[in-house]
Amino acid sequence: MKRQVPLVLCFLFGVGIILTRFSPHPYSQFFYEEVNSWVLIITPFALVLATVTLIRAHVTRIRRRTEYWQYSFIVFAGIITMVVIGVPYGPQHFVFEWLFNNIQVPMDATMFSLLAFFIASAAYRAFRARSFEATLLLVTAIIVMLGNVPVGDLIWSETSSVKQWILNNPNLSARRGIILGVSLGVISQSIRIILGIERSYLGGGD
Amino acid sequence: MIKITQWTVVCLVLCLSISTAFSQGLSPPANVTAVDTANDDGSSITLKWDAAPEDSGISGYQILRRIADGDLEEIGELLPAGTTTYVDSSIEKGSAYAYAVRAVSETEATVDSEQTAPVKGTGEWFHTGKISLFTAMLLFGAVIVWNIYYARSGKDIFVRRIPGLEAVDEAIGRATEMGRSILYTLGLGRVDDVPTIASMTILGQVARRTADYETPLRVPCRDPIVMNVVREVVRTAYLDEGRPDVYNEENVFFVSESQFAYAAGVDGIMLREKPAAIFLQGQFFAESLILAETGNSIGAIQIAGTDSEHQLPFFIAACDYTLIGEELYAASAYLSREPMLLGSLRGQDWGKVLIFITMILGVILELSGVNWITTLLQKVN
Repeated sequence: MKRQVPLVLCFLFGVGIILTRFSPHPYSQFFYEEVNSWVLIITPFALVLATVTLIRAHVTRIRRRTEYWQYSFIVFAGIITMVVIGVPYGPQHFVFEWLFNNIQVPMDATMFSLLAFFIASAAYRAFRARSFEATLLLVTAIIVMLGNVPVGDLIWSETSSVKQWILNNPNLSARRGIILGVSLGVISQSIRIILGIERSYLGGGD
Repeated sequence: MIKITQWTVVCLVLCLSISTAFSQGLSPPANVTAVDTANDDGSSITLKWDAAPEDSGISGYQILRRIADGDLEEIGELLPAGTTTYVDSSIEKGSAYAYAVRAVSETEATVDSEQTAPVKGTGEWFHTGKISLFTAMLLFGAVIVWNIYYARSGKDIFVRRIPGLEAVDEAIGRATEMGRSILYTLGLGRVDDVPTIASMTILGQVARRTADYETPLRVPCRDPIVMNVVREVVRTAYLDEGRPDVYNEENVFFVSESQFAYAAGVDGIMLREKPAAIFLQGQFFAESLILAETGNSIGAIQIAGTDSEHQLPFFIAACDYTLIGEELYAASAYLSREPMLLGSLRGQDWGKVLIFITMILGVILELSGVNWITTLLQKVN
């Protein structure tokens, strides 16, 4: 019974939501929007639970004096500051906005900018011409990179045309092949979930 | 005095004649029809009328609308000459509207068409433009269901070797031998994203093995709901293996909902705890390479898998094994070897064969000048 009820609900709502994509009737659209909005009800409860686990994890770190445990105090300082300002005054309060724009946003940007260095190190490994495939990748990458910068056309006037051909033909064909496989995989996975064959979301491995 | 009166009369007659001549030249829009817009939710009415000849002198059209017993009112902007359709999306559902189309000349002379019969906007229960898609969905669904039942009969189903999944045992074994933990991340997907659900299935299989070997399994989560579901997945896997004592709830934890804060948190865990094996399975975005390169820098064996074709090159460059696209969805069948899951995998391949046949047939027919397959696919789109 503990498993049958969620499976029946999953089947009914799964089939119902699929049918709404083929029915423009207002009742159908209402059902679709209503069911989607229920997710918003679950999220705050789950978020509270998640925040509790985060706090517990950092309390444990401090208590056990694990490596870099001092940084856990920064986590608490961040949570307390944002809650103290955000809950009574709302996210539009100037202090809240200032903290967000001057701490959170630059930190996000810093992490994102690290990507440039990681791309360089990954490319260095990937482009080492140790095999035929790696050499092919290296040559292709050089053409595409040169085709993206003005100096490429100065070296050889056809660089950007060759780059575009690579992107439009072999690259796009491979991408479409992957997309096709993924789409069929998603449909297949969805059918397995709706029919109750795939039950991992209920907490079981099968 | 008589002369002035005569001149005034002449001028008036002249003006009247010119005006009549102009209004006679400006014909009213013909065959104006108003119908409920097909395949919508009943929130619009479509008007159509015949195109006026080029020398008609019409410079634009103004739509007039009347509700029940009310008067005609102008709605919307002046439409350019040459327009023959108008979709009125500003109606109230359930109310009947009558329409007229006013032709406007360059001299701002106007002439109205006949009023249409009142019409109501009603929502359709089935989108007739999606019949092809609906049929394709039913066909593909039927193929998968048939293959699932075929597999239940106990017939042997061949599944090609997937190196990324073959390496799962190797990765877990390595972590166990080294006495280090395994890090499993499901990416940034929400619980309703199919890659996240596929990742949970793989996690269930990984958790069964880590339960057997008593290897710590750490799962940092980005989504609170995913975290709660993942806890259940891991707990059940440990229970199924008869090792509930090894399960530690605190090993499945929330990091942050922010994309890069999550990436920073997971990177920190990698650098501090130095897990021997890292699984990156699910939905990833710009943080994919940040995570994979950090994992690479600590020398962990990495098995990645995502359906995002933009992130796949990064994983291929930085990870030891990568599940490419559909392989992520094949993982549950591959690892569990359960006949019904293998059957669905076979059905998936049949779907691919059907699509390939359609593509080849479409190309041949298109080259022969027959384009009904292209037209059909455009309708599906």
